[in-house]
Amino acid sequence: MRPAGEEAVFFDGISARRQVVLVEPSSDGRGLRFGREMWPLDRLRRIEGEGLVLALLTGGGDELPHDPARLVLAEGPLAAWVRGAAPALERRDLRRGTWGKVAGRVALAAGALAAILFVLLPRISDMLADQLPLEQEVAFGDAVVRQVQGWLGGDDSMACTSPRGMAALEAMERRLTEGQGLTYDIELSVLDHEMVNAFAAPGGRIVILRGLLDAAESAEEVAGVLAHEIGHVEARDPVRLAFRSAGSAGIIALVLGDVTGGTVVGLLGEHILSASYTREAEAAADVFAYDLLARTGVGTEGLAAFFDRIEGMGGDVPEILSTHPASGNRAEAARAAGGAAGGMAERPVLTGAEWDALRSICG
Amino acid sequence: MDHTGELRVAYRGDPAKLFPLALGTGVLGVVTLGLYRFWAKARIRRHVWSKVQLGEDGFEFTGTGLEMFLGFLMSVVVLAVYLAVVQLILFAVGIRFVFDPQSKVEEIAQGVSILLSFLAVLPLMLFAAYRARRYKLARTRFRGIRFAMENAAGGYMLRGLMYLALTVGTLGLLWPLMTFRLEAYMTERTWYGTARFRQGGRWQGLYSAFFHVLVGMGLIVLSVAFGVAGEGWMSGVLGTFGVVWGMVGLILYRVRAFAYLMAHKEMDGGLDFRAEPRAGTVVWLYLKGVLIVGLLGGVASAVIFAPLGTMMVGIEEASQLVQLEIAVLGALSYLLLLTVFTALTLVFISQPILGHFVGSVTVTGVQALEVVRQRVSDNGADAEGLADALDMGGAF
Repeated sequence: MRPAGEEAVFFDGISARRQVVLVEPSSDGRGLRFGREMWPLDRLRRIEGEGLVLALLTGGGDELPHDPARLVLAEGPLAAWVRGAAPALERRDLRRGTWGKVAGRVALAAGALAAILFVLLPRISDMLADQLPLEQEVAFGDAVVRQVQGWLGGDDSMACTSPRGMAALEAMERRLTEGQGLTYDIELSVLDHEMVNAFAAPGGRIVILRGLLDAAESAEEVAGVLAHEIGHVEARDPVRLAFRSAGSAGIIALVLGDVTGGTVVGLLGEHILSASYTREAEAAADVFAYDLLARTGVGTEGLAAFFDRIEGMGGDVPEILSTHPASGNRAEAARAAGGAAGGMAERPVLTGAEWDALRSICG
Repeated sequence: MDHTGELRVAYRGDPAKLFPLALGTGVLGVVTLGLYRFWAKARIRRHVWSKVQLGEDGFEFTGTGLEMFLGFLMSVVVLAVYLAVVQLILFAVGIRFVFDPQSKVEEIAQGVSILLSFLAVLPLMLFAAYRARRYKLARTRFRGIRFAMENAAGGYMLRGLMYLALTVGTLGLLWPLMTFRLEAYMTERTWYGTARFRQGGRWQGLYSAFFHVLVGMGLIVLSVAFGVAGEGWMSGVLGTFGVVWGMVGLILYRVRAFAYLMAHKEMDGGLDFRAEPRAGTVVWLYLKGVLIVGLLGGVASAVIFAPLGTMMVGIEEASQLVQLEIAVLGALSYLLLLTVFTALTLVFISQPILGHFVGSVTVTGVQALEVVRQRVSDNGADAEGLADALDMGGAF
């Protein structure tokens, strides 16, 4: 049953004049007729508004393929009939080729961002890092170590300083660095924390966490890890990585927007990224360590044994989230690098008494 | 008084309709890691615009989430280069002061380098502010006719920087000059179909609106003077007074400046505006909104976190997997609650205040509309992408 004609408001899309028109269903029941217009039901689209606001689908149009003209029906029998009879009132039409365009733009943006993150930023940050004066780098390194102490939940009192332990630490440092022509003046310290870890900070600072001393079974193992960290220091990895993450953290926050949830993901993303930055750096530090250990007669067996031990502990962290490559292959690589001697120490790094002193440096 | 040719502007928003929309789109935003935010914005604007009515005719927002998303993609690449480079250079320069200020001079240098990193984005923010308004206007229709704003964001940026410098240089005394000139710059470039808008009035006209800010500033200056003279107690009292007075003054300034600027706008053909927003009402709507959001948000947080609380009992003995599950649930609950608060704020604070401003406007000389003709569509350039990337979108 077709409703009778009703008065409605028409805006022709050409002028801002308000035209009151008599709208009625067309004789075949497949359109709306008013004035000189005939709008087919299947091309009607509803626009959000008071009453039933209608637009006509066209090939042209602008952001949506709608003609600018609007027909406003008051709620009533005619509007109800249109709602029932028009087949695609609520459809959101897309122009042909829209998805291709979207895919193209997404690919372009992703490509450009990748180029910025992985080519431009590393280049610039390496360049800037190389120009950082040493004294500023040392000040920055001190700040980083303080920050890490904060994360570990402690303060300056975390530093372990038993005199005999310090002496042993110094002996180990001398063995590894004396006469090696290093650019940095290495500064070793031990923090009282159970985590099995050691890290290099800018300015030649290397920090060992007490957990690593507990887990190691010989001074050669600790020396092996130290050689690896000295490799990072000499390659200026810590300061370059700091620069890279300063640049990329901003970009990731930018892409994800500051909407709920974005920040959390941003942090995770930043972590994954910096891990992928360091993967090559890790390999280079390993090579440096093998070389240094061979030259100083410490041998690579200690480092290899330590790699085995980390693997034995069974990491909870998935490989992609970890900053270090899988330990198994690295143990093999370390042994292979040791050559014919099998990487055994020519003479011990520390005496038995010194090793005991180092292990109890935290009291 | 002759009231022919007068039409009131009204806002007919309904919390019961807007809230489900805001919450639903907000949840979709969380689920899609923020990707849906463009579509959410488009849907909320379509709804809000349609509730603004001049006489019997509603406004229409024709922008789409897709074009905002594409605009954002474009902006992000431009911004990434700019920000990454600027941020890195500042980091390189400021690295020593920021981490380890050793002396008074270095502490000042630290402040300057932090200020600089903000100043580096300031030109972009001004540029984006103009572009965002241009996009909104280009996608607004009334009676089927498009609004538009000319492509002049660069000029706006330069003027914005100049007036900002003047304002800072005069300790805020020339703030009304900045407000007036920047608004006039945008208004003079705004079109409705073939009709152009003009900004009348004078910048000095804003000083009566600015009066209470001046009083607050005067009190703060006095407080500093007393502080220098060693009268600590007097200085503290005056300072506190000055800050509070100045803050209330700022609200008054926002409201009265809106009224003054609106009342002095006109459109080709003799169309004029009157605006009578009331600062007291704005403050009341805000306080009422905060109360409602607080109450409903409190209920929501109880509903969301109560199940989690019961799960937390005995967490010490739970396996690692269960602990991880609870941690994930906790993070999700937090995000959900944040979404609820965002939706509540939009519905019970932003919407009523918008409604009050919109409803305070009367349009006179509406006969001018009869001769307005359509204009060609504007592609909208970055579709507000820059403003979104800089995270400076307002409530709507």
